[in-house]
Amino acid sequence: MSRSRKDPRTERATHRVEGSIRPRFDLAAAPAATGRPRRDRRAEERLALVPGTVRRRLDRTQRVAAVGALPAPTTPAVETPPRLRTIPEPACLVAVVPDAPGGRLTPHDRQLFGAARLLADANGGAVLALVESWSDELAIAGADRVLPIPASGYDPEAKALALLSVLDGLAVRHVLFPESADGGDLARRLAALSGEALFAGAESLSAKAVTRAAQGRRIEQRRAPPRLISLATDAVAPHAGTLHEALPVEFAFPEPTAGAILSAEYIPADPAKVSLAEADFVTSAGNGVTDFEVFRALVAALGATPGASRMVCDAGLMPRAAQVGASGTVLEARCYFALGIAGAPQHLQGVARCEHVVAVNTDLHAAMIERAGLAIVADAQEVMPALLRLIAEEKRG
Amino acid sequence: MRIAVLLSAGRHRVSAHPAPVPVELQAIRLAAELGGEAFGLHAGPAIGPLHDTLGHGLPRLTHLRLAENDDPAPSLADALREGAFDLVLAGRSGQGGEDAGLLPYALARTLGLPIVADAVALAEGPQPGTLRVEQALPRGARRRLVIRLPALVTVHPAAPAPLPFAFAAARRGDVETRPGIAAACAPSEMEERPYRPRPKLIAKAAGGASAAERLKAATESASGGGKLLVEPTPDNAARAILAHLREIGVLA
Ligand SMILES: Cc1cc2nc3c(=O)[nH]c(=O)nc-3n(C[C@H](O)[C@H](O)[C@H](O)COP(=O)(O)OP(=O)(O)OC[C@H]3O[C@@H](n4cnc5c(N)ncnc54)[C@H](O)[C@@H]3O)c2cc1C
Repeated sequence: MSRSRKDPRTERATHRVEGSIRPRFDLAAAPAATGRPRRDRRAEERLALVPGTVRRRLDRTQRVAAVGALPAPTTPAVETPPRLRTIPEPACLVAVVPDAPGGRLTPHDRQLFGAARLLADANGGAVLALVESWSDELAIAGADRVLPIPASGYDPEAKALALLSVLDGLAVRHVLFPESADGGDLARRLAALSGEALFAGAESLSAKAVTRAAQGRRIEQRRAPPRLISLATDAVAPHAGTLHEALPVEFAFPEPTAGAILSAEYIPADPAKVSLAEADFVTSAGNGVTDFEVFRALVAALGATPGASRMVCDAGLMPRAAQVGASGTVLEARCYFALGIAGAPQHLQGVARCEHVVAVNTDLHAAMIERAGLAIVADAQEVMPALLRLIAEEKRG
Repeated sequence: MRIAVLLSAGRHRVSAHPAPVPVELQAIRLAAELGGEAFGLHAGPAIGPLHDTLGHGLPRLTHLRLAENDDPAPSLADALREGAFDLVLAGRSGQGGEDAGLLPYALARTLGLPIVADAVALAEGPQPGTLRVEQALPRGARRRLVIRLPALVTVHPAAPAPLPFAFAAARRGDVETRPGIAAACAPSEMEERPYRPRPKLIAKAAGGASAAERLKAATESASGGGKLLVEPTPDNAARAILAHLREIGVLA
């Protein structure tokens, strides 16, 4: 209790405005320096005031919302470009075999590069990306070298053989695969071909140890990182900070031989039938939607999977299987389009893993509007037919 | 067509009691619906709860008896070679053992069979000696393959649910037990300890973030700083939405 006592008289005296006969005090000005820090609630409130709203609105999180027509002018690019880091003579190589469907890296692939950087930096090595084609994303993701592997159609065995020749031909210390449908398959093929042990589905990774779950998630296995590792999703953070060279590497691959797969045909998911958990694009209706005929037509026209908030499911307007959220389905979708949904925490939990969110709501302050990448404050009943009209127009002409 | 279904000694997902692995029961259903003779094959110390697989549509089961901690791969490879099967079905990964899903690949390699992963449906191919396989891909997509037999196919959990258990069928089915090939497992460098769930990576939330910050990171837009349109005309709103959906690539 060594706090000095407050002296109201001297405190008041510091507020005295000089130059007038009658004593005047400006108590709102400059916080009195009494040695004891005090919060100035008025100044804080002035800072938190959101400009441009009719209703007085305070944003205590200090993130001044951009309320206006289109996005607020973003600060001109004062960001310094990431530093380029070159590794001219690596001691070893850490290879990464991303899925990269259609040549674009998935978030899981980026995490793979993060893990590879971790292993490479610990051993003075470089990260080698084994991809089907070079792209400039690889430099940002953290690849020092890029080796395009020949691929024609779906033939994982041929790809595994090509990888085997890389494993034998170059000083590759580790090969990292994503533990996904195609990546996991390829990893196991390479493990069988090379006779190396595969550490399947690593859930944590450092330069010293990797761990995975076994025996139905009852046992954790742990060892020093072996040569072949497949990595589970969301185990390692993606690489950030430095830019890498992504230099193309030359390598002579053996001639591929015909495999046992006679034909392969890709069948895209039927959005109307696929379950919510598997869906890629979900369009969802909340309590703000009244016309469900139009909603269903819109879902079909967009090629989306229908979803709903709990209010709508409770009312029996949509089946229970369509409920998104904590007590419904947690989505893995890439894009979520919310019509007339307030964005209760229980609902937002179901959307947490969605990369892109689009929201239409009449309430500017709805949580869904804040969560959305494109937020539209408008009546859903008017936007839905407009969307249908526009899609129909585009189809015709 | 002679079909072998590889069965492993699983453990129940929740209770950890010995139980058949669900995806292998689904494989039995795929074999039953494809037609032909189905044979179950298990290598291990005891058959235990795998007796139940007979009730799920498998007429006969061969048990290759091994000592505890023996490697099942040589025994299985030998039995598969001897049985001259057209098709070998296995689960995607076991549940209760190593759970790495490596055994089918190792078997395919020793037998020189082609392997296809993650089947959800099987049908006769266009020519004799071929098989049409529907393969599960993420997000509900599928890939339809035609492969030459003999082949090894692993089954995905998205395949149709197992046939319901029938007690009479389980009584009727026969189990043949014969000694397997003793082969010690390669010594493992693994260190084992009780499983501890690891925190999943949450984007943006730093290690020591407060609960409020973590909730915000979990519920806030990943792309950050979105566009906001206030009271646009419905047509402008529709145009903005379509343009945005095209930009992120969910709409053709
Ligand atoms: C234990 C528990 C678990 C729960 N689990 C879930 C769950 O899993 N999933 C879930 O969804 N909910 C869940 N809830 C319910 C949740 O708390 C909310 O009540 C629910 O999500 C609200 O749904 P809503 O947004 O559709 O409705 P409301 O809260 O009524 O919101 C309607 C929104 O639509 C807007 N609106 C109104 N008219 C229009 C219009 N014409 N055009 C555009 N917008 C308009 C309004 O501004 C408002 O924002 C749970 C609740 C509890 C207690």
